[in-house]
Amino acid sequence: MSVLEFLANGLVFSSIIVLSSIGLSLVYSIADFANFAHGDTMTVGAYAALVTFGFVGALGGEVLGLPLGFFVALAVGVAVAAVVAVVTHKLVYEPLDVDSIGLLITSIGVAFVYRAVIQLGFGTGFIEFEITLLRPIEALLPYGIRMTMHDVAIVASAAVLVAGLHTLLQYTDLGRKMRATADNPSLARVSGIRTGRIELWTWIIGAGLAGAGGVFLGLYNNISPRMGFNILLVVFAAVILGGIGSVYGAMAGGFLIGMINQLTPLLPRLGQELPLIPESFGIPIGIEYANAIAFLIMVAVLLLRPSGIAGEEAT
Amino acid sequence: MRDDSNIGRRDLLKATGTGALVVTAGCVSTTDETATPTETDAGGGGGDDTATPTETDTGGGGPYTIGMVDSVTGSLSAFGQRNQRGKDLALADVNETTINGRELNIVVEDSESQSQSGVSAAQKLVNQDGVPFVIGAVGSGVSLSIYESVIQGTDVVQLSQNSTSPDLTNFPGLLRMSPTGSTQSTALADIIAEDGYDSVAMAWVNNDYGQGLAETFRQEWDGEIAYDQPHDQGQSSYSSTVSGMANSGADAWLFITYQPEFTAMAQEAYSNGYEAQFYGADSVQGSDVLGNTPEGSLDGMKVVVPSAAVDQENYQNFESEFESEYGDSPTSWSAFAYDCVVTAALAIATADEFTGAALQETVRDVTRPEGQEVFTFAEAMDVLGEDGDPSDVDYQGVSGPIDFDENGDPVGFLQILTVENHEYTQTGTIAG
Repeated sequence: MSVLEFLANGLVFSSIIVLSSIGLSLVYSIADFANFAHGDTMTVGAYAALVTFGFVGALGGEVLGLPLGFFVALAVGVAVAAVVAVVTHKLVYEPLDVDSIGLLITSIGVAFVYRAVIQLGFGTGFIEFEITLLRPIEALLPYGIRMTMHDVAIVASAAVLVAGLHTLLQYTDLGRKMRATADNPSLARVSGIRTGRIELWTWIIGAGLAGAGGVFLGLYNNISPRMGFNILLVVFAAVILGGIGSVYGAMAGGFLIGMINQLTPLLPRLGQELPLIPESFGIPIGIEYANAIAFLIMVAVLLLRPSGIAGEEAT
Repeated sequence: MRDDSNIGRRDLLKATGTGALVVTAGCVSTTDETATPTETDAGGGGGDDTATPTETDTGGGGPYTIGMVDSVTGSLSAFGQRNQRGKDLALADVNETTINGRELNIVVEDSESQSQSGVSAAQKLVNQDGVPFVIGAVGSGVSLSIYESVIQGTDVVQLSQNSTSPDLTNFPGLLRMSPTGSTQSTALADIIAEDGYDSVAMAWVNNDYGQGLAETFRQEWDGEIAYDQPHDQGQSSYSSTVSGMANSGADAWLFITYQPEFTAMAQEAYSNGYEAQFYGADSVQGSDVLGNTPEGSLDGMKVVVPSAAVDQENYQNFESEFESEYGDSPTSWSAFAYDCVVTAALAIATADEFTGAALQETVRDVTRPEGQEVFTFAEAMDVLGEDGDPSDVDYQGVSGPIDFDENGDPVGFLQILTVENHEYTQTGTIAG
């Protein structure tokens, strides 16, 4: 089997990690705490989309092998995740007069509440979008790449959302204010930026991206109450690897961690796959250690660059 | 219903197994004693006295009292409840016939599904009630703790009703009614070989359950294992596992994992366009799996699940009795509890005296071959008469042939399910 197939798998998985990690990093940069409820916000988005899809699933037309109704459901999932996060922010995080560690612990509690509510409503089992699974794209098979149109849709949507966020941050008024608030909240406030409002927007965008990540994770795998929490650790690794608080770092980190995760099966037979290395060379390690390897690389990068890949740059 | 609970149960067995490490001895039981509904004083008083291990009178007198440690509360209480139903039905059947004129009485103690409480419960039964025979427990960890802290070194008989961990095989003194998980691996190895494959790709879940079954499969399988890799539970992506299995070139793929993980892998295999003959252990079977995989994608898959002797008449009677009593179909787990009680009653009926030492002599033999095959307690008592020998009968339980081996494990009775038209169809049963 070709290295290309593993790279393709890695690209799809990375897209989901990237979507999740930019939201987490964005919230960190402005709200100034590591939000452990981020994973469960993804779950909220996925379930909201699932319910919506039940109503609008039959909506005609197909884009990239997905019915148009799926994109409506995606939008609803994003919106619900954003609303839930804003409500949580207003009800819980904002009134709390504690430091970032206090908020971090609070967010773990919030995560449990989200998950418990989902379990009450939908049970603890797993479920799927009622979308017909596709077969691999014929045109790519000769190259050893086995991707479905759904995989392409995941990568394309992630690319669109990331590009959109980049445009927002670099070229809009809101983006400039967000970057200013992230850099120095006090200075931003005295220069006339309403930082409270900026914070609200950050939550909307960050949680919305998490919701999108959750929907795509549900499309890629299954929807279950623990889906977001299960991926959260990998997402944190991506964010820290990229440099916490940096959106572009999170993109790079997410891409790297997703790739490493999916390329682990290649390690035991590196020699056969790569030129210039003896055939017999390989790192004997099983795929059950994929996450451990991702974290090891994270630690190694942090030893060399303590602030992460893009730590010094402003968002 | 049983299928759905399998996953949870495996997890819980593990959890209770971990709990076994912190067993403390010498605790006084604080649990309530549950009186059995069928308890009567038909034999004429002195019920407590008959429970002492030194009791030798076998003619007339009060009921024989044995103990049962069950998960009445706690995380395994769903199993405990089914056990209690099976036990009550069995007790009714036994006491209708009576053991040579005397009834059977079972003192139930709650293990709270935890090792510590289970040990306390067993201590109370053995030391205070003085029972020579303890049925218990559900969780493998609880059963082992009871055996190691209370039973080992005495001549009290312990018969676990529901524990399936392969570890229990290492304790020949600890009997159990539910087959060890490793019989599944043996059966799978046979089925795959029969289907004509000589190379298999095996993906197993990285925990005690997966390791245990995978290890047994390796021993039993004569062919090549082209792919043999564990995977963790609850991962967001199983593409590497599926690619690896496809890359191994094996045409038979064996999954020893849980339902969500297997579903993700089956979807991945489908959308990657891989075709293979699938096989699975009991924990990958369930309606959720069929509901979440594309129609036709699993057709031909074979799954081995532990089963009661569904073809036998005595099971069908048990089933209809159970349904009329509880308005619910029985699970294998209640059938195991039923057989525990009947086996205990037969052991008492054939023993020279009502002591642990005497019951140790008879408990294995009453279910083993060479005696006359009997299917109900009444039938067995007919064959035995007043002073039958344990080897005169071979009790065929509602859960299967039982036939305890030298390790105290029963002969597993397994069902082969094949997916046809995206539905599970029973295509065979295996004993052994």
